[in-house]
Amino acid sequence: MRTASAVSKYIAFARVATALARRDRGELYGRMLFFAVILGVFSSLWRAVAEAGMPIAADPRLLVWYLATTEWIILSAPPVHAELQESIRRGDVVCRLGRPVSYVGAAFAEALGLLAVRAPVLAATAWACAFAFTGWIPPLAPLALTLPLGFAAAALIAAMYLWIGLLAFWLEDVSPVFWVVQKLLFVFGGLMLPIELYPRAMQIAAAWTPFPVMLAGPASFVLRQSAADSLTLALEQAAWGGGIAFAVWWAFRRASATLTINGG
Amino acid sequence: MRERSNNRSFAWALLTTNLKAAAALRGAFVMQVVFMMLNNLTFFVFWWALMRRVPDLRGWRLGDIQVLFGIVAAGFGLTVTLAGGVRDLSRLIDGGELDTLLVQPKPVLLHALGLRLQASGFGDVLSGLVFIAWSGQVTWRMAPLVLLAIAASAIVVLACGIVFHSLTFWLGNVDTVARQLWELLITFALYPEPLFGGVLRLVLFTLLPAGFVGYVPARVAQRPTAALVAITIAAAAAYLLFAAAVFERGLKRYASGSRFGVHG
Repeated sequence: MRTASAVSKYIAFARVATALARRDRGELYGRMLFFAVILGVFSSLWRAVAEAGMPIAADPRLLVWYLATTEWIILSAPPVHAELQESIRRGDVVCRLGRPVSYVGAAFAEALGLLAVRAPVLAATAWACAFAFTGWIPPLAPLALTLPLGFAAAALIAAMYLWIGLLAFWLEDVSPVFWVVQKLLFVFGGLMLPIELYPRAMQIAAAWTPFPVMLAGPASFVLRQSAADSLTLALEQAAWGGGIAFAVWWAFRRASATLTINGG
Repeated sequence: MRERSNNRSFAWALLTTNLKAAAALRGAFVMQVVFMMLNNLTFFVFWWALMRRVPDLRGWRLGDIQVLFGIVAAGFGLTVTLAGGVRDLSRLIDGGELDTLLVQPKPVLLHALGLRLQASGFGDVLSGLVFIAWSGQVTWRMAPLVLLAIAASAIVVLACGIVFHSLTFWLGNVDTVARQLWELLITFALYPEPLFGGVLRLVLFTLLPAGFVGYVPARVAQRPTAALVAITIAAAAAYLLFAAAVFERGLKRYASGSRFGVHG
């Protein structure tokens, strides 16, 4: 009973965020446009690569669908760190700390609410654009698998952004940390290029980071055209999810212990 | 003549004030610069990994892409360093915050652009120069032309920012759209020109002039001809004059926000 009541509070946060995201559609339309442009650019790039006669993948069409999946995940994940930083800078965080809910839990619930609006719209955009640029659809079974695993991956990315936002308790501006983590995600996560195409040393380094399970993992089902190893990926995502949750909890615990409130 | 000299010293005063403000938070300043450089270097890993396998992409080699990337990064960095206020133009217009600038005997656009300096811009400029030097495509004798190419690129980036944000005068709050259009401009400018053909190519040299942000200045830095240099300078001047005219036209429609504010 108590658990249900606790969960319902967070569901309420998620629902409010969903309602706000539905109303403020400008950013979502912008992301859809950006999606179409980037897939157009890359479909052209992969055609040029195929012309160059280099067998970097069996088919350039697969690489477009791979990119559609990785971009869908990354564009769906709401950049919650920015709002968190503002809240900490302005001092609003103090008002929110007094509520009978976990501050980071509520922020994550809001991120999931935003994700619930963005992910389906952007998935439809991804598939429509990828089909428009390739005139081809991959086998449906592996493609369907990318949806739940991609959603989980986007939630993991949102949790990572949450952790970055919490660094605002110590840093003047968390944007530089965000840029670098985001670019590491691009490279080690295999955003534009499957990790197998990077040098061996980078592949080994990537395996020690959470980034591959966030992007390349779900997208590789499209590339391999097979649904095998989905359970392994789900377990890996759960394990990294636990790790990120611990990092968020620890950062928030340290921050709230050192927080000094002046004035009233 | 005297007015022009006054404007120059006013612009210099804005820049030095912004520099002092940025330098006051030395740690944050250095961190933004270093992390932006890391950010750009990490992004380039994609091209490095791809061009190891595909050394020639429709006539473009890794060195060519480094010059292109360097020019765009340095041009963008220069814009947000010298005229960082361009990013907030839409907000200033929509929020009625131009009121405080209108009552001062200084050019409104110049003042609005010089209101902010983005420290990360220094990181963009430095990494841009590193990319150009590292490309092995440019000799020291070409340094003046490289600087000209960077300046021309910066002017076109700035002009586009002014035009996109000035749409607020007619369409209301278009901050998100303006920022996304600006992002698209940079995105297109970062990819080799031969990837784009047909109508898109025409668009990239007119409505969304990525061609004058990246490809043409990059060619000036690598293989300059008198005609190319003339085209680059003429295009930069034309876009800047057009942007100033759009802003001035929009300013006639500006409705006060009846707000009080102080700009230091």
